Amino acid sequence: MQVKDLRVSYTAGREILKGVSFDVAADDFLAIIGPSGAGKSTLIRCVNRLVEPTGGAIVFGGRDLLKLSEAEMRHERRNIGMIFQEFNLIERLSVIDNVLTGRLGYTGTWRSLFRMYTKEDIRNAVRLLDRVGLIEHLDKRADKLSGGQRQRVGIARALIQNPKMLLIDEPTSSLDPKIAREVMGLIREIACEFRVPVLCNIHDVDLALEFCTRVIGLQDGVKRFDGPPAEIDKHVLADIYAMEVL
Amino acid sequence: MSVATTSQTRALPEWRRFRFPQSLYKYGAVIGALAFIYWSLEMLRIDVERLPGMLGRMGEVLSERYWPPAVSHVLEAGYLQAVIDTFQMSYVATVVGMLIAIPLAWFGAYNMTPSRRFLYPVARVIVMTCRSVHEMIWTIVIVAIVGFGMLPGTLAMTLFCIGFAGKLLSEAVEAIRVGPVEAIRASGANEFQVFVFAVLPQVRVAWTGIAIYTWDVVFRAATVVGFFGAGGMGHFLRESVQRVESNQVAAILLSIVVIVMIAELVSAWIRSRIAGAIA
Amino acid sequence: MAANADLSRYDAEVEKLAAWRARSRRVRYTIYFLIAALIAWSVEAIVVGDTDWSRITWASMLDTAKRFMAVDFTIFTNLLLPALETVLMATLGTLVGLVLAVPVAWLGAMNISPLGKATYGIGRLLMTLSRSVHEIVWGLIFVAAVGLGALAGVLAMGVRSIGFISKTVAEAIEDVNPGPVEAMRAVGANRFQILLFGILPQVIPVFVGNVIFEWDVNIRRSTIMGLVGAGGLGLALHRQMAAYNYGGIATVIIVILLLIIAGEIISYYARKAVI
Repeated sequence: MQVKDLRVSYTAGREILKGVSFDVAADDFLAIIGPSGAGKSTLIRCVNRLVEPTGGAIVFGGRDLLKLSEAEMRHERRNIGMIFQEFNLIERLSVIDNVLTGRLGYTGTWRSLFRMYTKEDIRNAVRLLDRVGLIEHLDKRADKLSGGQRQRVGIARALIQNPKMLLIDEPTSSLDPKIAREVMGLIREIACEFRVPVLCNIHDVDLALEFCTRVIGLQDGVKRFDGPPAEIDKHVLADIYAMEVL
Repeated sequence: MSVATTSQTRALPEWRRFRFPQSLYKYGAVIGALAFIYWSLEMLRIDVERLPGMLGRMGEVLSERYWPPAVSHVLEAGYLQAVIDTFQMSYVATVVGMLIAIPLAWFGAYNMTPSRRFLYPVARVIVMTCRSVHEMIWTIVIVAIVGFGMLPGTLAMTLFCIGFAGKLLSEAVEAIRVGPVEAIRASGANEFQVFVFAVLPQVRVAWTGIAIYTWDVVFRAATVVGFFGAGGMGHFLRESVQRVESNQVAAILLSIVVIVMIAELVSAWIRSRIAGAIA
Repeated sequence: MAANADLSRYDAEVEKLAAWRARSRRVRYTIYFLIAALIAWSVEAIVVGDTDWSRITWASMLDTAKRFMAVDFTIFTNLLLPALETVLMATLGTLVGLVLAVPVAWLGAMNISPLGKATYGIGRLLMTLSRSVHEIVWGLIFVAAVGLGALAGVLAMGVRSIGFISKTVAEAIEDVNPGPVEAMRAVGANRFQILLFGILPQVIPVFVGNVIFEWDVNIRRSTIMGLVGAGGLGLALHRQMAAYNYGGIATVIIVILLLIIAGEIISYYARKAVI
């Protein structure tokens, strides 16, 4: 995937992203770091167009996502899994039903109204829940789970889409440090297992350095750094966080 | 030290609750309000001097002419049938009204409407219209068009239900969390699926409560639509009023009050049960 | 993706899930069936039992609708005075309701109810009574009590308004911020002083906002009070109906709509100014 000169501004005229460009390779686990308000969340949401960019291009699978019609984009979103900071589960549905919502893009409107998923989908959901270690909690309602368990459901929901790419928005900032590390580890493993590139924004620099293969530093809508974690030192961080660290 | 001395030597400003301009506004407002009330009473030809006497005589009038209520009248088979009729009208009107109000509530919720340019204003205008016109006026108009009976009552109550529930339902939608909406949208779901999977689960409890509350309000209105020719208990009320059978009127009014209170209690009980069972 | 053979070890789980789903679906469909059966019974009574379809034809309905379309603007000026009366009735009715709601709210707020549970119950009962009885019924009761005229309408709307105003105010009193109440207690205020300085200032915005809202609703109610013998536009409507003047009825309804829209706009901005 390639992101070229991506720009976003809200109606008030404030520019959130001021022309960001980077590539994501097929085996990248790419972390976006930067101070809050730098535009990390906006950047992630531009890729599946939950936020509409005002300029630039995002090329994914040979097509510019920004030029797709609404229906085409909806189609394309099936190939892009997303994991959220606040998990964003449907709290009144059971765990497995939450995972199965990941198949909605493949399920017809009427079938989904009666929650008639294919046997294949259901079997897959069970398998994924086993993979993330929640097989015992299959029938539980999502709001009965702990934070870490909920995020695992969120991971399974993204995976059941058979994504060709994962977008991850602050996966750990609603979790305590120990659980956060576990969840990051799981995401890392799964990304290798399913061979999907990951674009992950994360404010915890230590976690980013530990788990990611490449890091992009964003400040005030501008890319300040792009390279492997090994190249990151105090000066780079000082630059990204504009002296915040020092 | 120096601070203390200066504050002793300087004259402190005198504090009064109301100083010149504010006090004038305050008293002016009170006098204006009193003048307005006096003028209103004059306009409405309500005789203030006779008011205490009138209110005093209220009890006398009620006890002489309306007491005792003709209880036997409301126990006749015809009246009991009318109670059932009233329930049927309110029930059909609520169910049909809710079925129409639900899509309108979806379209008319600013955060979730599939189209802000077209569906949103259309849904809002429909709900607003149903709401603005008093249910008794709907009844009168529809009775004029389709004639007397339960049908016009049901239709009028349906319109009332759309207006009443439509607003409450869409307010519930406007209060949902956007996170799940984003998540479902990100999986490639279409607008309808987003509604079913991200919106409905979040509003289901609130909507069920609203539906029951709406039935309660519709039933209350259904007890009197008959007064304007539309079936149910109100029809008997009208006849007794026209024949000046005061004791019957008293009995019917009392029966309405009792039945409606029971309906309200039942609806409140079911609502609390639902909230308890699901939460 | 793992091979299918590997997936088969989950079959037991999948079957269990399918069975559970079928069960919950059965419960749901039973409920739907009951709702539908009740509907069928009611619709049968309304549409088949009670409606004489031979008298309702497209032609007759269109004819009536057409007669409604012939809006009679000549009576427009005659409606201005009743429209004013309607607004005044609603305003006075709201004032009566406001005054009566204060003691009811006092009784019906758990934390300040003077004699605890007993008076609380009375307060709640009064609220329910006021709210659950339709304004037409209150209108008939007060017409019976004080005779035809605007007074009956004012009193009916006043009593009808008690429920909403007092209930919302009582709820506001119940979740009042305890800080100021404690502070008042600490300076040695008595119960009435606590009410006046600790609780009242916190509740006033809710009270005023809801009174304005209720005024708006009362305008709507006030337009039909005339139908049972109180004055205002309802009376004009009643006269047009008695004369079978459909154009006139339509005109009155248009004036009512204008009045309600105006009331809604005024109350919207008034509430905004207060809150």
